[in-house]
Amino acid sequence: MAKILIVDDDPDLVEAVTMILESKGYDVAAAYGGIEGLEKARSENPDLIVLDVMMPDKDGYAVAKELKADPELKEIPILLLTAVVSHITTTKYTPQMGLETEAEDYMDKPVEPEELVSRIEALLAK
Amino acid sequence: MEQPKVIVIDDEAIMRDGSSRILAKENMAVVTAENGEEGLAKVKESPDDFDVMLLDLMMPGMSGMEVLEQVREIAPSLLVIVVTGYATVDTAVEAMKKGAYDFIPKPFTPDQLRIVVHRALEKKALEEEAKRLRKEAEKSLKDVAKEKSKTHTIINSMTDGVLVVDKDGSVALLNPAATRFLSISVEEVLGKAIDQIKVEALTQAVKDVLRGEEENLAGVSQEIQLQTDGKEIYLRCHAVPVRDEDGALLGGVAVLQDITQLKELERMKADFVAMVTHELRAPVAAIEQQLTVILKGLAGEINERQARMLGRAKERAKGLLDLVKDLLDLSKIEAGMQVQYMEPVDIGALLAKVVELMRPQAEQKGLTLEFELEEGLPSVNADAANMEGVFTNLISNAIKYTPEGGLVEVSGKREGDYIRIDVRDTGIGISEKDLPRIFERFYRVKTEKTRQIVGTGLGLSIVKQVVDAHLGSIDVQSVENQGTCFTVKLPVVAK
Repeated sequence: MAKILIVDDDPDLVEAVTMILESKGYDVAAAYGGIEGLEKARSENPDLIVLDVMMPDKDGYAVAKELKADPELKEIPILLLTAVVSHITTTKYTPQMGLETEAEDYMDKPVEPEELVSRIEALLAK
Repeated sequence: MEQPKVIVIDDEAIMRDGSSRILAKENMAVVTAENGEEGLAKVKESPDDFDVMLLDLMMPGMSGMEVLEQVREIAPSLLVIVVTGYATVDTAVEAMKKGAYDFIPKPFTPDQLRIVVHRALEKKALEEEAKRLRKEAEKSLKDVAKEKSKTHTIINSMTDGVLVVDKDGSVALLNPAATRFLSISVEEVLGKAIDQIKVEALTQAVKDVLRGEEENLAGVSQEIQLQTDGKEIYLRCHAVPVRDEDGALLGGVAVLQDITQLKELERMKADFVAMVTHELRAPVAAIEQQLTVILKGLAGEINERQARMLGRAKERAKGLLDLVKDLLDLSKIEAGMQVQYMEPVDIGALLAKVVELMRPQAEQKGLTLEFELEEGLPSVNADAANMEGVFTNLISNAIKYTPEGGLVEVSGKREGDYIRIDVRDTGIGISEKDLPRIFERFYRVKTEKTRQIVGTGLGLSIVKQVVDAHLGSIDVQSVENQGTCFTVKLPVVAK
């Protein structure tokens, strides 16, 4: 089964997302910050990374940029989790951020379990 | 005029009494004297009190003519009517020459007396009015003299900067506040070209205004940022043309308002908003995420009652999150950030997109969502993201407030220079009492039916602000328990 790395500074969110993914049988690794996320991206050899945007040490954009610049890691699909303003009246900002960071996909926090799983399945199938 | 006062001087008691009676009936106050000395004494007591004197010319002692002469001196505004028993043209003419206003021959009828006295009173009233007007004119002439120094004082004591230029672009006036803002002395620029002031944004605004003659420009408003005493200050500059009565350009006036503190407040507000974004949203999002996971049974079995309570808890968390998002939207709109990306937008395509986005939500609730669009609708100038927000909000509301089995209709068509979009539902409707207030911030209709519906009360106020910012209009019609229809009109892009 595929291995997924979750990078988020909020342990409660990591736990909740872990439960969703584990219930579908995925292998889950967790990192609680941007820098740790980059380390684990190398050491854990994940098939996909779920990446939070707002993190104090190194934010999701910076992490994604480094990942995509690394020839060994750039193939790993990234699903960006945004808690940044993405209300109905500001939806246009979110896709722009996704594009800027070259992340493969993005979702709003909190996520609906089915939606998260189907997005991940789609990314892994590519 | 208050009650007119007449003095009757006659040596014959019958004449005094008769005249008094007749004039008293005309609502006049009458004072009598039986000879010239007595009459003069009474006039002297209060020379301004009497309006008319009825004066017998032929009296023992002091003659009428003598009395007349003295009265003219004591009370020049008192109108004297001479009465003479031997009415000859000569005596009348002599009396008139001496300043009598009129004469009446003896014997006279009550009507004759009334007429002559009334005529005198009218004359007196006119004279007084003329006097009053003369006084007023004198006063306003004095005012004009004062006005210049007054205006000068006002302009110089203003905390806003004032800059006046002639139509040839030379500086005509610069008040102390302006010299402070612009770090320049009056001597440096007065009478010289506006370009002497090295603040490009300001000089440009003034020049634009001076060109206003052909362009019919009403005024230019802009923000200027500059360094004063090593400090950064922000000015709002409002420049307007000055014209004469015929509309010919005389020059321009620029008013400079220090908005540095306002800017600082704006920045603090933006910081606060950013803080709210992270500090408030993140934990609520986490709470909702955790509840979602528990509700799915991913953290172990939960019973029906727990599921129900946690379901409500999740709804509440979601509502809280929506509130935070709405507040952020609101502060962004207030900061003027929201409607910045105006571009021609195909409103039909945008509507279609929003309707499809909302369709799952409608179906989930067992509602029919219908969409009708007139072909070939022209573009509107809009911020697409905001417009999506407007219609998402309206359709989402329609779905929220319409019971199962109901109908939500969205239609777009052209109506003159506007595109008209209706969002109609067969929902619970809005009572007449609530209808005028639904666009107010934080206004929510609280009834048994709406209690279960999560909302912040901000949605419609934001919708209205966005529509207003697009120079459009939004109206609502509703009948309780039958349905509601929101109508948005947006101006078509002028060709």
